Amino acid sequence: MTKKNRSMIQRRLIPTYIFLIICSFISVFPLYWMIAAATQTSLNVARGSIVFGNQLAVNYDHLLKAVQGTLWSSMGNSFLYSIVQTVFTLFVCSIAGYGFELYHDKGKDKLFGVLLLAMMVPAVATMVPLYGLVSKAKLLNSVWAFILPGISTPFMIMMFRQNSRNFPPDIMEAARIDGLSEWKIFFKMYVPVQKSIYAAAAVITFMNAWNAYMWPKVVMSDNRAQTMPMFIANISSGYTVDYGMTMLGVLFCSVPTMVVFFVLQKQFAEGITGSVK
Amino acid sequence: MKKKLLSLMLVGAMAASMVACGGSDTAADTSSDATTEDGAAAADVQSADENTLTVYAWDENFNIPALKAAEKDYQEVNPDFKLEVITQSQSSDVEQAITLAAEAGDYSTLPDIVLFQDHYIQQYVTNYPDAWQDADDADCDWAGLGAEKLSYSTIDGKHYGFPVDAGTAIFAYRTDLLEQAGYTIDDVKGITWDQFDEIGKKVYDATGKYLLCMDGDGNDLFYMMLQEEGVSQFKDGKPYITENETLVKVFDVLVKLAQDNVLYLANDWSDYTDQAIQGDMVAGVFNGNWIIPTMKQVADNSGKWEIVPAPTLTGKPGYASNGGSSLYITGNCTKTDLAKDFLAYTFGGRSAEDGQSITYDEALLNGGVIGTCAAAAESDVYQQGVDFFNGQAIYADIVDYTQNVPTVEQSDYHYACRTQLATALQNVLQNGYDSKQALEEAESNLKFEMGL
Amino acid sequence: MEKKRRGMTLANKQLAAGWLFLTPATILIFIMSFYPIVMAFITSLKTGKGVNIKFADPLTYNYSRMLQDVIFKTSMKNTFLYLIVEVPIMLIFAILLAQLLNNKDLKFKGLFRTCIFLPCATSLVSYSLIFKSMFATQGLINSILMKLGFISENINFLGTASTARFVIIIALIWRWTGYNMVFYLAGLQNIEYSVYEAAKIDGANGWKTFWNITVPLLKPTIVMTAIMSINGTLQLFDESMNLTSGGPANQTITMSHYIYNQAFGQGVGNFGYTSAMSFVVFILVAILAFINLKVGDTRD
Repeated sequence: MTKKNRSMIQRRLIPTYIFLIICSFISVFPLYWMIAAATQTSLNVARGSIVFGNQLAVNYDHLLKAVQGTLWSSMGNSFLYSIVQTVFTLFVCSIAGYGFELYHDKGKDKLFGVLLLAMMVPAVATMVPLYGLVSKAKLLNSVWAFILPGISTPFMIMMFRQNSRNFPPDIMEAARIDGLSEWKIFFKMYVPVQKSIYAAAAVITFMNAWNAYMWPKVVMSDNRAQTMPMFIANISSGYTVDYGMTMLGVLFCSVPTMVVFFVLQKQFAEGITGSVK
Repeated sequence: MKKKLLSLMLVGAMAASMVACGGSDTAADTSSDATTEDGAAAADVQSADENTLTVYAWDENFNIPALKAAEKDYQEVNPDFKLEVITQSQSSDVEQAITLAAEAGDYSTLPDIVLFQDHYIQQYVTNYPDAWQDADDADCDWAGLGAEKLSYSTIDGKHYGFPVDAGTAIFAYRTDLLEQAGYTIDDVKGITWDQFDEIGKKVYDATGKYLLCMDGDGNDLFYMMLQEEGVSQFKDGKPYITENETLVKVFDVLVKLAQDNVLYLANDWSDYTDQAIQGDMVAGVFNGNWIIPTMKQVADNSGKWEIVPAPTLTGKPGYASNGGSSLYITGNCTKTDLAKDFLAYTFGGRSAEDGQSITYDEALLNGGVIGTCAAAAESDVYQQGVDFFNGQAIYADIVDYTQNVPTVEQSDYHYACRTQLATALQNVLQNGYDSKQALEEAESNLKFEMGL
Repeated sequence: MEKKRRGMTLANKQLAAGWLFLTPATILIFIMSFYPIVMAFITSLKTGKGVNIKFADPLTYNYSRMLQDVIFKTSMKNTFLYLIVEVPIMLIFAILLAQLLNNKDLKFKGLFRTCIFLPCATSLVSYSLIFKSMFATQGLINSILMKLGFISENINFLGTASTARFVIIIALIWRWTGYNMVFYLAGLQNIEYSVYEAAKIDGANGWKTFWNITVPLLKPTIVMTAIMSINGTLQLFDESMNLTSGGPANQTITMSHYIYNQAFGQGVGNFGYTSAMSFVVFILVAILAFINLKVGDTRD
């Protein structure tokens, strides 16, 4: 009986399955194409070939030599910058979100409203003044130049603030009576129960940092400090572009963000769940 | 399992950030040490070594091989010399670097030398005078470097730049496709655009290929076709469009060519190079000679191309130039004498005086860069026949063309004008404007942009 | 006495800690966002380029210039077109997918979710390259349409204004639907299953349940994603820059892209004018976000 029931339900779900399969296919196809293109000659890629070729080794060889041979150092830079960015963003925004929610009073709420405005500041507008700041501070081509503008974002603060709602203030009171300092409460009581939101924030920050292009291009003029997207941009412009090689570069550039998402998928979903309550 | 991974990542992240904090200066240092031999601070694009110059350049298949050739050439007279090339993704990156440094009021972030687009240099020198140093007293024979080319880099009578590539235009035809339509290469020599249109129609009917193509967005055809006639889109610093009879004629020619399926307007640069040219959609290519490496990508077409001067309105052989860039010494360079001597010896043509220049020969061999230096064109490398072009000695031919390119009035708004004219053409072809209306709009928009 | 003083310090300590938690984030936002926008406003009152920049006369020169600027108007039209067409389609699509995936009986949920989310994990440079090649005149889409007999001649998708805009919208939907879906999925998981059970007993059908229960309960999420999408679309830059280069002939250009072009794209930047335009974008985004919040707030 239950078996029959179950198969009936599954049968009723067939249209859903078909629809989802189509959507998944559309989502994944360009990625498949990217992988296939990485094994092709430039000409075949430009002509829209969708099958695998035998140029992988050649493309990799070319890729290694491109942009003064900076493939792996760009990869290293991207990892370094993105991880440092993630660590700082998580720390700064989580204490801010925590502070805004659990110590909130009228003044802080107003300040929060003001900070939200920063979300609307267009990136193009801030580029020149920000460059001036970073350049005067002699930070060009350093990890600081990369991370500073992105550490504190209203969106992240908001996310952490939303999640802090499910942290009961009673626990804080109890902890205070036990003699824990405010910082200890944060680190010992708050952080351990908020792992999933940290994971969600880490995924988003890491992805944004990894894919950032405009700002790094402005402050990382030295090839030795360049990031992966800049490396890709370097190989994908010019009078003649080697598309097979470029696609292989793109593949290298896409893998880390995907891996991060795969690994933290569950925590990511949980974290987001908390922030949209 | 996942918990473990998470904590592992956190630990990794912490460790990485400690490195970042610990390396008090810059974290980029730690990552770059592996690639820098002398361990110089990565934050500085200047080199401490007195025999090393740094240069910003773009395109690893074109300009950068030319720079490497120059480095090798100069090492013959100065063995300790080193040229450190810092690759940029495109010409606009260099422009952006200058702009940002200037707006921040701090030129110390610039390298010694930059490669710079010819059409933009005038306005950058005018607006950011401190970003540059002139090279008027450099030891080279300026007269041998092509007058039209130098007209870009000479500002207030002073030489600022050393030419890298001539932008001399070529008109290449696929002889096999012409044949299918019943023509030979001689039929397209010294023709008018009207005759070209007739031939183009036949070629399209017979082969389905366009006889001309262009990036419809930054349309270069207006400029080249006008230059052939010795006319500019500007007169006395003002737009010269609606009252410019030649321009109106050229405009009408282009409309007709596009309507007759003779001209294919690609949507942007990559569509032009990848689809139109490499995708074998065309039987003719008209652009600066730097387009040759792109054409050569299609090995199947080897031997089928030949180059002749372009059609004109009157039928006389047409010569034009498009694009190209030169090397400039920045205001931040402290090794000015070395920079001037290096540039004068290499791209300035001093090493070519005996008829053989490593710079020019290897730039051509490794990057396909054709220089403007007349003396360099005597070399065997320049005189050789090229298989891809059916054995034609195209390089010598191109240097020959270079001497015939008329000098026309330049403007800071060159590209703005080009975009407006491209828009006008699109308006006629797609939005039902007539050409007068479209050109009037282009002129008023351009004037608006120029603040006139 | 002794006790009271200790209490005071504790309260003070708490107060200090509260503010201390906010300080780094606040300082950074002030330096990295507010200082530049103030600077941009001051610059927006100037004209001239490079060393020749000076205060404009009248001061509002750049703002009145904008009203006559044909390309700026085009860019504004385009941006709003993308906003009006893309954001609703994407969000509805995302809710729909989330609703489908939030089914207890569905198998391979994780696989579907991952697949649909993947596009937003790809880097921007790569995805624009992919779309450009697919929609090229001799690219994949054209050959498929040809083979299926829908068209007799290759369409120059990116070379014609209307189709180029369409490609940009498709690309945006492709990239961001999965991202938004994750938020809705999370929102749906917060809704108690019993609510649906109750609705079922009341005889509500699927559509009614969706409209009367899911949507209202998802409202906070919808408002949040809408603000994020509106903000993102109004500042849209990458797609315009990388997919179509704003072309053909500036007909698909967005506001941010035009601002960028005026600053860095075409010779020496006209920073007075670009700052004025960015300031206008800032105001526009702020107004729309405010309206959105008000509309979303009706429940309270």
